[in-house]
Amino acid sequence: MWCPTATNTALVGVMVDGAALAMLLDQPFMQRALIGGLLTGSLGGLLGSFAVLRQLSFFSDALGHSALLGITLGLLLGINPTLVLIPFAVIFALLINQLVQRSRLPADALLNIVYSTSLAFAVVALSLMETYRGGIHQLLFGDILGIAWPDLAVIAILLLGALVYLALSLRAQVLLTLNDDLAGAFGVRANWHRLAFIILLAVVVAVSIKAVGVLLISAFVVIPACAGRLLSRRFPVYMLISGTLGGGCALLGLLVSGLTNLPSGPCVVIVQFAGFMLALLVSQVRCWSPAIAVPAGPRTPGADPAGRE
Amino acid sequence: MSSSTATPVLAVQGLTVQRDGLLAVDAVSFQLARETDTALVGPNGAGKSTLVAALLGLLPRQAGTVLLMGHALGPAGQLPRSVRVQIAYLPQTLSLQGRFPLSVAEFVGFGFDPPGPRLPWAGGQRRHGAVQRALERTGCRDLGERLLSELSGGQLKRVLLAFCVVRPRQLLVLDEAQAGLDAPSSEQFHQLLLELRRQEGWTVLQVSHDLEMVRRSCDQVLCLNRRLRCSGAPDHALSPARLAELYGANVVPYRHQHSPGGRHG
Repeated sequence: MWCPTATNTALVGVMVDGAALAMLLDQPFMQRALIGGLLTGSLGGLLGSFAVLRQLSFFSDALGHSALLGITLGLLLGINPTLVLIPFAVIFALLINQLVQRSRLPADALLNIVYSTSLAFAVVALSLMETYRGGIHQLLFGDILGIAWPDLAVIAILLLGALVYLALSLRAQVLLTLNDDLAGAFGVRANWHRLAFIILLAVVVAVSIKAVGVLLISAFVVIPACAGRLLSRRFPVYMLISGTLGGGCALLGLLVSGLTNLPSGPCVVIVQFAGFMLALLVSQVRCWSPAIAVPAGPRTPGADPAGRE
Repeated sequence: MSSSTATPVLAVQGLTVQRDGLLAVDAVSFQLARETDTALVGPNGAGKSTLVAALLGLLPRQAGTVLLMGHALGPAGQLPRSVRVQIAYLPQTLSLQGRFPLSVAEFVGFGFDPPGPRLPWAGGQRRHGAVQRALERTGCRDLGERLLSELSGGQLKRVLLAFCVVRPRQLLVLDEAQAGLDAPSSEQFHQLLLELRRQEGWTVLQVSHDLEMVRRSCDQVLCLNRRLRCSGAPDHALSPARLAELYGANVVPYRHQHSPGGRHG
């Protein structure tokens, strides 16, 4: 199921006060949406914590935009788009990865070519399909109210798998992020981990599209991680804050969406942005407060006041 | 001398490596005896970093053999874990754009456990003790809680040495580790490296452009320009005639000024 029913949407639209919130939370479709948002938001934040440091933000954005082509293919073939989306995203991610590695062009330019072209093909194909014109809005901006229990099971398994993989390979992932050769010399199977991470990121982008839509998907990956980056001085804490912020903001954003009948994706992203601004404020206050700031160690001769040479 | 002592830490025979379809290293052979300090010198583009990457198993080789502590490096860089754990590599720099949420103590701790999957919280006490000792020995005791991205270049190099010294190792490979440091920081790093090498019994292979440092402290010099042009003791390998052959005319080893305001060059 991709779209909410008209009854459900209408029901959501009239509820704006506390009692209405309770009624809203009593609705099975809303319960599923909130659980889905919590899980996908946490996943986005968790994966984003590495994606942002590896400068894969634009990669996730390109993947999200290109996913529209996968959905279109599913519709053309008469297959549930959700079933097509995950394998499409994985294959597409691997192809882009190969293209970036083998081409001598800058990665951002290549990603731009790939995502704008696939988006163009998808929009042209969708415009030819009379029956699906009404659904474009949900594809672009997300509508998580249509999420079903099997979808939640898939996302929960994915979150568990991502948690176990990232916990066990945390050191390898960080070393890989810092320096490929340092990681390789240390015995990290760099190519294997790089590929595994890209596949995981592609799957997370694919499953999160239902919540946030193809246009705003990268926000799920980027914003919570950037907020976590501002607040953390330990890597596991950074991952925890990113995942928690991702899940928490998605939950809050979906509630706002449910109460106001606004599209879920933009609501979640606006809440995420508010969380980011709060993190920015907290990090600035920490910098200015001598009691909280970490004392500077002895400086190497020649180091500039900012600590860089 | 026992057989394990006699076995070279690194033995390279006929190593040939291509990079981007071009021949970067051509039929290079040499050995590193235990607890020696060897410099790999040559002009830019001579294949020094490519050679180092191939020795560590980071690049495929087209021909030749590499034996690390008597164990053959596999075609895809495979080595027994017991050998891999004896090798430390110190890169020129780390990718630390912006604020990188990793403390110095966490980073050094990553060097403590052998490679392979592990839970972040496993072995915390032992690792903590080893990290504190490594930070102490490298003069980084006060930096443990700092973020890696907050360090100066000189501090970062010392922290990288702490990463290497946090567990016993045999072979330390440095790829232009002093690049980007000013003269006092470079000298400070060099002295620390010498001291740790003596204490730890490391065998060192370092890519360097600082020919004066190489002349002062290395036991062996390998002059590379795609092929190994010459090798041997510094006085032999760094003679004006050989340097002219390697770099072109009018190249002399530059000297450090040891005063704080001294010019590097």
